[in-house]
Amino acid sequence: MTDPFELLGLARRFSLDRAALEQRHRDLSRTLHPDRYVQAPPGERRMALERAVAVNEAFRALRDPLTRAEALLTLHGLSVGDADRPAPALLMEVMDLREALDEARRSPHKVAALLDQVRARSRAEESALASAFDADDAPDAAALGRARDALVRLKYFRRFEDEADAALDY
Amino acid sequence: MALFQIFDPVAPPTPIGIDLGTTHSLVAHMVDGRPECVLDCDLSPLLPSVVHYLEHGGVMVGTEAKGKAALHPRETLVSAKRFMGRGADDPETTRLGPYDFAMPGPGESNSVRFKVRGRAVTPVEVSAEILRVLRTNAEAKLRTVGGAVITVPAYFDEAQRQATKDAAKLAGLEVLRLLNEPTAAALAYGLDKGRTRGTFAVFDLGGGTFDVTILSLDDGVFQVRSTGGDAQLGGDDMDRLFAEWALGHMGVDPATASPELVRAALDAARVAKHELTDRPTTVIAVTAGELSFERSIRRTEFEDLVRPVVERTTPAVKRALRDAGLRPEEVDGVILVGGSTRVPAVREHVKKLFGQEPLSDIDPDQVVAFGAAIQADLLAGDGAKDDALILDVIPLSLGLETMGGVAEKILPRNTTIPAGRAQQFTTYADGQTGFELHVVQGERELAADNRSLAKFVLRGIPPLPAGAAKLEVTFRVDADGMLTVTARELNTGIEQRIEVTPSFGLSGDDVERMLLESYEHAESDLATRQLRERITDAERVIAATEAALRVDGDLLDEDERAELDGAMRALREVIAAQDGKKVHLRTEGLDRATQPLAERRMDRAVQQAMKGRAVAEIEDTVKDRPEHPHLAASYAKDAETDKETR
Ligand SMILES: Nc1ncnc2c1ncn2[C@@H]1O[C@H](COP(=O)(O)OP(=O)(O)O)[C@@H](O)[C@H]1O
Ligand SMILES: [Mg+2]
Repeated sequence: MTDPFELLGLARRFSLDRAALEQRHRDLSRTLHPDRYVQAPPGERRMALERAVAVNEAFRALRDPLTRAEALLTLHGLSVGDADRPAPALLMEVMDLREALDEARRSPHKVAALLDQVRARSRAEESALASAFDADDAPDAAALGRARDALVRLKYFRRFEDEADAALDY
Repeated sequence: MALFQIFDPVAPPTPIGIDLGTTHSLVAHMVDGRPECVLDCDLSPLLPSVVHYLEHGGVMVGTEAKGKAALHPRETLVSAKRFMGRGADDPETTRLGPYDFAMPGPGESNSVRFKVRGRAVTPVEVSAEILRVLRTNAEAKLRTVGGAVITVPAYFDEAQRQATKDAAKLAGLEVLRLLNEPTAAALAYGLDKGRTRGTFAVFDLGGGTFDVTILSLDDGVFQVRSTGGDAQLGGDDMDRLFAEWALGHMGVDPATASPELVRAALDAARVAKHELTDRPTTVIAVTAGELSFERSIRRTEFEDLVRPVVERTTPAVKRALRDAGLRPEEVDGVILVGGSTRVPAVREHVKKLFGQEPLSDIDPDQVVAFGAAIQADLLAGDGAKDDALILDVIPLSLGLETMGGVAEKILPRNTTIPAGRAQQFTTYADGQTGFELHVVQGERELAADNRSLAKFVLRGIPPLPAGAAKLEVTFRVDADGMLTVTARELNTGIEQRIEVTPSFGLSGDDVERMLLESYEHAESDLATRQLRERITDAERVIAATEAALRVDGDLLDEDERAELDGAMRALREVIAAQDGKKVHLRTEGLDRATQPLAERRMDRAVQQAMKGRAVAEIEDTVKDRPEHPHLAASYAKDAETDKETR
């Protein structure tokens, strides 16, 4: 995998300044976007397109804390797959949330309240990820383990957020 | 004042911007750094998007054609854009309208076809007629026109975009870019007002389409945050509801009314609708043959009638705001675009949705064409770094059908383009030697509920136990929003690549055939045209190479430089000899020879972009800026890569 941090010239950390990331993305887009190469020869056009795609992909990966954590884990040689089951307590919690969502479905206010509740949980996991990845020394196996657990939980919460968010369309 | 316009014989062709609308189409270009529309022969910038087919062949386009609609409702195609990229059985064909549709014949693609004077005409051909007139008008004013930026509704899907490109090709236009209409409007607004920063919403309700786009402007970069809409919602739908109401009062069943009566009712409804924009009451008058009907109607009655149309804009607006992670009051300005935003009830609705008075200080009819002209000018320029730049997104998620008919999203909606992503899949049966890939577009969980774009099969995979084959599917969307899908079996390297020609579109062959059939091109000698195109390409590559060498010549050593000079010389020789085939080959040769230079130039530019502004410095400049809390937080698919596909 290409290192999205390196591609965007940013420090390999979980906590990152959103505005700085966006600024970097804009600066690189100004240089690489296909619009700048309409008059260029085909070879150069293709090359710029490849790079613009890579920059956008790196930007996407780093913009969202969840994919950012995934990228960091991958860079540390770990991955999160289907096999990583969260603790039973979390499964219970998510099941309860799902039930609550089913009941709230027709009431946007209730859905929004549930969404807020879960977003707060997600943010707590993001803090956990920050402290696991961003200590002064490079994260050790224990820290990476904690990061991975936090990521598994974050994924569950996020999937719920997406469902709740979609429910708001009605 | 100059009485004569003097044409500069060597002036480069002028790039143009085209708003190909459902109701009206316009063409614009830049004059002294400002956009300006080309006037049609009736001195209006708006060319009605109406095409009338004459009895003995040939067509009439625009105002003249519109005048034929009452007497020849079936031979006069109005709002053809609503049918672009649609299948012959699309629900749109069953809505109130005067047309007669033809089913596709054997071997023909499944496009909508209008039955006109004994032949079948596709919406692509109708649009091409409109584009041809715009091109001719522009040529009359500018002498030579260059490439064109053509606008499309942001919510247009793959098939509709492809259809638009096909129409341009038929009309003999070189498409520089397809540009989303709301983005075009924002570009015109942002640049006109000299704004440098802020978050804007564009609410674009035209005759047949509705778009809402949230974008932020930062140092000349227009970044689309989210987009949504309905590619079949607009003023036409108000006209239909209003016309059905009138027909009802006349005691006529809309389903069985004659085409003349339907046309008359729709026209009367539109006239009355426009009048109600300016005054509280008017009279709607329908006359067709023996039948006639007159009734006065109040604006409030009309508003009750069309409320469903106005209300249908709400979910898309809310969704777009949520996708952008914004509350309505965080939007710095709401830009109104499209004729239907003149309807007072629509303005009220927008005001309510965003909690603020919308902006409409640029003519909403022309603003999209202006934006297209600005973009055309930028694209035809030298790509200077301080030029404005647009970062747009895909409006609808793109994905694949996986086991159980579930649509797996590979590029979610609101992904910034150009975009690309690869995902791995595996076989689910022992000895499976083929993968069927079904590419879909849309937000629904099940593939069947989404728009089917293409199906193809990757064959010849050696039989392996279930789960052992590894298929990598890559989705790539270019800056026009067009998708290419590549599939590769990783163990064997078997690869297949498709430009996704949507199932409902015309095939490349169809377009070629139409191109040959169209009188304009049949006359010109194919070989001459090809030679001309090749020489233009060759000259372009030479000019670009020279320009690159002037700026970054130091990046090459002497040998490399000599090789490049040699390749340019060799190409110039065959241009002089007018040898088309060799021109083509040597253009490719030169293109290859410039690769090292291009690569190093790009590295240099990237380094400058990153060094030009140390991150600390960035942090300083952005501190006082409002942050967008969770932009598109909706992207959260889990990253398991091994999914089973059927
Ligand atoms: N004064 C008006 N009052 C109400 N509707 C109007 C008015 N002027 C134009 N429209 C409507 O606007 C629509 C055309 O808008 P336009 O932006 O030209 O659409 P498009 O881009 O789809 O061609 C038509 O439905 C027309 O009836
Ligand atoms: Mg329009």
